[in-house]
Amino acid sequence: MREADERDIRPSTPVSRPRVLVTFWVIVAALAYVLAGLAYRQLVQSGELKVQSDSQSRRVVLIPPARGLIHDRNGEVLAENRVRWSVKADLPELQKEIRAAYLRELRAARAAKSAVNADDLMEKARVEILQGWLDKVWSVIDTPVRKPGSPSLRRKEGPLSLHKERKVNVEELRKHLRERRALPFTLIADLTFPDPTGKDAAPSPEDGNRSIARFIEQFPSDGPIRLESDIVRSYPNGATASHVLGYVKDTDSLPEPTVLDQEVLALQKLRHAGKTGAAGVELAFDDSLRGSSGWELWSKTSAGYNQSLIKRVDPLQGGHVSLSIDLGIQKTAEASLAKVRAPDGSPLPGAAIMIEIRTGEILAIASQPGFDPNLLAGRVTSAYYDEIDSRGGWLNRATQGLYPPGSTFKVINAVAALRKGTVRWDEVLDCGPSFRVGNRDFPEHDPQGYGPVDLEVMLAVSCNVWNYQVGLRTGVDAIAAEARRFGLDSQLLVNSAGTELPYPAGRGLVVPDGAYKSRIGAGPWSPGDTANLSIGQGYLLTTPLHMACVAASVARGETRTVPTIIHDPRRDGKHAGAEPIGLRPDQLAALRTGMERCVEEGTARSVQIPGIPYAAKTGTSEYFKDGNKAHLGWFIGYAPSTNPVVAFCVLIEGEDDGTWGGKTAGPVARDMLLKWAKRPTGLEAPVQALPGEAAR
Amino acid sequence: MNRDQQGAKASYVLLTLVFLLWCFGPSVVRRFTREAFTEFQAPALELAGKGRDLVRYWELRSRSSEELAEAGRDLGRINAGLELKLLEMKNLAEENARLRTLLSYGPDPEYRTVVARVVSRDSAGWWQRITIRKGRTDGVRPFSPVVFGTRVVGRVAQVHLTTSEVDLITSPGFRCTAHLEGDEQRRVVLLSGTATGSRGTALVTNVPTDYSPPAGPVGDEAKVLTTGIGGVFPAGLLLGYISGHPRTTPKGDFKEADIAPARDLHSLQEVAVLVPVYPTPGEQLTESRVDDFR
Repeated sequence: MREADERDIRPSTPVSRPRVLVTFWVIVAALAYVLAGLAYRQLVQSGELKVQSDSQSRRVVLIPPARGLIHDRNGEVLAENRVRWSVKADLPELQKEIRAAYLRELRAARAAKSAVNADDLMEKARVEILQGWLDKVWSVIDTPVRKPGSPSLRRKEGPLSLHKERKVNVEELRKHLRERRALPFTLIADLTFPDPTGKDAAPSPEDGNRSIARFIEQFPSDGPIRLESDIVRSYPNGATASHVLGYVKDTDSLPEPTVLDQEVLALQKLRHAGKTGAAGVELAFDDSLRGSSGWELWSKTSAGYNQSLIKRVDPLQGGHVSLSIDLGIQKTAEASLAKVRAPDGSPLPGAAIMIEIRTGEILAIASQPGFDPNLLAGRVTSAYYDEIDSRGGWLNRATQGLYPPGSTFKVINAVAALRKGTVRWDEVLDCGPSFRVGNRDFPEHDPQGYGPVDLEVMLAVSCNVWNYQVGLRTGVDAIAAEARRFGLDSQLLVNSAGTELPYPAGRGLVVPDGAYKSRIGAGPWSPGDTANLSIGQGYLLTTPLHMACVAASVARGETRTVPTIIHDPRRDGKHAGAEPIGLRPDQLAALRTGMERCVEEGTARSVQIPGIPYAAKTGTSEYFKDGNKAHLGWFIGYAPSTNPVVAFCVLIEGEDDGTWGGKTAGPVARDMLLKWAKRPTGLEAPVQALPGEAAR
Repeated sequence: MNRDQQGAKASYVLLTLVFLLWCFGPSVVRRFTREAFTEFQAPALELAGKGRDLVRYWELRSRSSEELAEAGRDLGRINAGLELKLLEMKNLAEENARLRTLLSYGPDPEYRTVVARVVSRDSAGWWQRITIRKGRTDGVRPFSPVVFGTRVVGRVAQVHLTTSEVDLITSPGFRCTAHLEGDEQRRVVLLSGTATGSRGTALVTNVPTDYSPPAGPVGDEAKVLTTGIGGVFPAGLLLGYISGHPRTTPKGDFKEADIAPARDLHSLQEVAVLVPVYPTPGEQLTESRVDDFR
C-alpha cells in the first residue's frame, strides 16, 4: 500500500530543472509586472483615475434659483414666483414595464411578418406605457367623486375637461431622452394652468388646487409617477405694466453656483431649464434678479440615470427690485387707455406716463397694446407670439415710440423766444386764419383765426400763427438749442450702471436744424421748416416720456428731469444736467398761467377736474401710419397748479380727423389725476413754491 | 448519502424552488401568498386583541368596590354629559332634517362610519402603521380616512378579510392637502408624514412665505385642517397643530413647519373608518393595479 502511494505522487515523466526555473521566473516576472502596474495606478495615477472614475460614475445637477421679486413703490407685488406643480414619470422605474411592452410589440411585429425596427418599437413601447400612466393621472384628477349614473358635476367643477396635455408628446419625449435622460419626464407641465395659450376658458385657481389635491390624496405616492413642484414666474396683475416688467424665457444657461466644491468642478454638469429675463426690467435687472444656482451631486447608473444623491447645496434666491410705479395709477392709466377707441370700436394704440416732479420717479408708464407676460413665462406658442406682433404689442410706445410732438412743443418754442427776447410775455400778436411763409400759407387750426393773441392765450387756445411768427423771429438754431436744453436729444432711463430698461428711451430722437437736414440730403433749411418746427411738426421726433419730462421740468422751473423707474425713498431730487429754466419770474408765471388757462378755458376745458386745478398743453400732430395720413393726440401737463407734485403725458395714435389732444388724450390724463388724488398714501412732499409764484 | 442528508438536500431544493417562485413567479402568486399569510395571521391578531380586552375586563373586575364605586360615579357624570350632548345632537339633527325638508335638499351622505378596535401596531414602523379589527367583510375599503372624533388618525392602506392596515399621519407614505389656521386666503399646503423611528411628527410644506400662525396664548398652536377638495378626506377635520414657528426653506420660496398630530397615537384603542359611499377614482385605480405600486 505504501509503495503504491509513493508511486502515485511520483511524476510520470522526469521534469527538467532549468525548465522549472524558467517557468518560475516567468511567473515571478509576470506577477511583478502586475504588482508594479497596480502600484503605479494606486500610487502615481490614483488622483487622475479617481477624477476619471468620478466623471464616469457621478454627475452634478445644477438647480435653478428662484428669481427675486419685483414690487411697486408701495410694496405691491408686480412679479413673483408661483408654484408650478408638474406630473413627472420616473423612466428608470418604468423600464420593466417598457421592456415588457417592447417584447409584446416585437412579438406582434414578427407574427405579422412586418419589418422590425428596434428603435421604433422601443419608442412605441415607451409612449404606450407613458400614455397609460397619463390616462390614470387624468382619471384621478379629472373625475369627480359621484354616484355612478348621476349627472356630471363637470360644469360645476370647472373646465377641467378642456385641459391639454392628455397625449404624450412624442417630440418632447425624444428630446428628453436625447438631452435629459437622467431626469424625470414631464407628463403634465403645469397642473394649475395646463393651457398656456389661454385660448380655452382658463381654469380658476380653485380648479388647479382641486387637481393638485386629488392627485396628492388619491394617486399612489410610491409609484413611478410623481408630483413635483418648482417655481415659475408669475405676474399677478396680468398685462399691467407688461412693457416695463417684460417677461422671462427658458434657458439652459443657469447662473453659476456661488459655492461649488473643487472635487465636483470637473464633473459633467446637467442643468435643469432655468429662467432668464427676456424683456423689460426682467432683462435689464437680470443679473440681480436671477440669484445663484444650487447643485446636487449624484451617482449614476451605467445607463446614465441618476442613482443616489450624494450631496446637495440649495440655490440662493435673486435680489428684489422695487419699482417707482404706483400699481393703482398704472392700472388706471391702462384701463383708461383701453377705453380710447376708433370709430369702428377697435382700441387705439397709445401711451400714458405720470412722473413725480421732484424726484423724476415714474408713477405710471403705460403702453397699449400690450401682452400678458404670464402667457410668455412658460412654453410660448408661436400663435400668441404672432398675435402680439400683429397688434404691434411688442413696442413700448412710451419710451420707444418716436412721434412729432405737435403743439405740446409750443411750450419750448415759447421758452426759446422769451429767453432770446424775440417776444415779450405780454406782447399781443395779430393771428389770422393763416400765415404766409415764402409762397406757402401755413394754416391756423381754427379757420376763423384768433385775432389778438398773447403768450397766455396762445397756450390756452394753442394758436399756430403766434408760433409761426415767433418761431421765425427766434430762428431754428435757438429753437433747436432750447429743445436740446430740455433734453429732447438725450436718451433717458440711462444711468451710470447701465439702462433701466433693455433699450434706452429715445433711440432715433431728432431735433432738426440746418445741419441735420443737409445730413439726410433733404436740401437747405428753409423758413417753412422753421415754421413747422415751431409747432412741433416736420422732422422733429420725440417720445412721450421726453414730453412728460418737459412738463415736469417746466413745473420745477428747470430744464431737465431725469426719469427713473427705480424707487428710492432717499432720492434727493437733483437732476443731472438740469439748470434753471432761464426765464424771469413774470415770464415763467405767464407760461404757467397759459397752461392753466388751457384747462380752465382753452383746448383742455372738457377735462377739468373740480377741486384739482392743473396746468396742461394739448397737441394734435400729423403723422403717417401705414402710408396714410393720421393724427396723434397729445396731452402734457402737471398738477396741482400750485406746488405741483406730478407731471404727465398722454399720447394717442389716432386714425382720422376725430383725434384731438384735449378730447382724445385728455380723459386718460384726467383719470390718472383722479386716481392720483385718491391714493391712500401721499407721495413725497410736494416741491417748494416755484420760482415766479410770488409774481403771480 | 444517508436519509438525513437526503432530507436536508430536499429541504434546500424546496426552499430554493420557493425562493425562485417568489422572485420570478407571476405577481398574482405573490399577492395570493401575501394575502394568505395575512388572513392566516388575522385570527391570531383578533384573538390577541380580544384577549387584551378580556385582561382589561378582569383587571377592572379585580378592583375594590370603593374604586369601582368611584369609577362608576365618574362614568355616571360622563354618561350624563354625553346624554345631554346626545340630546343636543338629536335636536340639531331634527332641526337639520326639518330644514332639509323645507328646502327640499336631500343629498346622499358621502361617508359611512365603521368603528374598529386597534389590534396591533406594525413592528417594522411603530409610528407608521396600525392594524384594525375590521376588514373587507365590514365594508372597509382602501384609501378611506381613519379618524378619532374629528381628528385624523390616518388612512386605510390595505384591506384584508377581517383586518385592515392603516397608515398613520406620521407615516412617510401618508400625504394629504391642508389649510392652515390663520391663512385667510385658504391656500393649499401639502402635509406628509416624516417620522421613521422618531417620535411622531408630520411636515407641512409649500407654506406661503407671507404666512404666520395667528398669535395666541402659549400652547394654543395653529390648527392644520383638511381641505376636502382631494376627494378623500372630508373638509375641516383636524390633522394636527403647527409645532414651533414655520421656517423658511433655503431657497426662500416657501416655508415649512412640523406638525404635532391631533391625537396621541400611543394610546389609540379605537378608531372610526369613514368609508366613502362612492368609490374614489384613486381607489379604483389602486384596486385594479395594486401590484404596480408595490
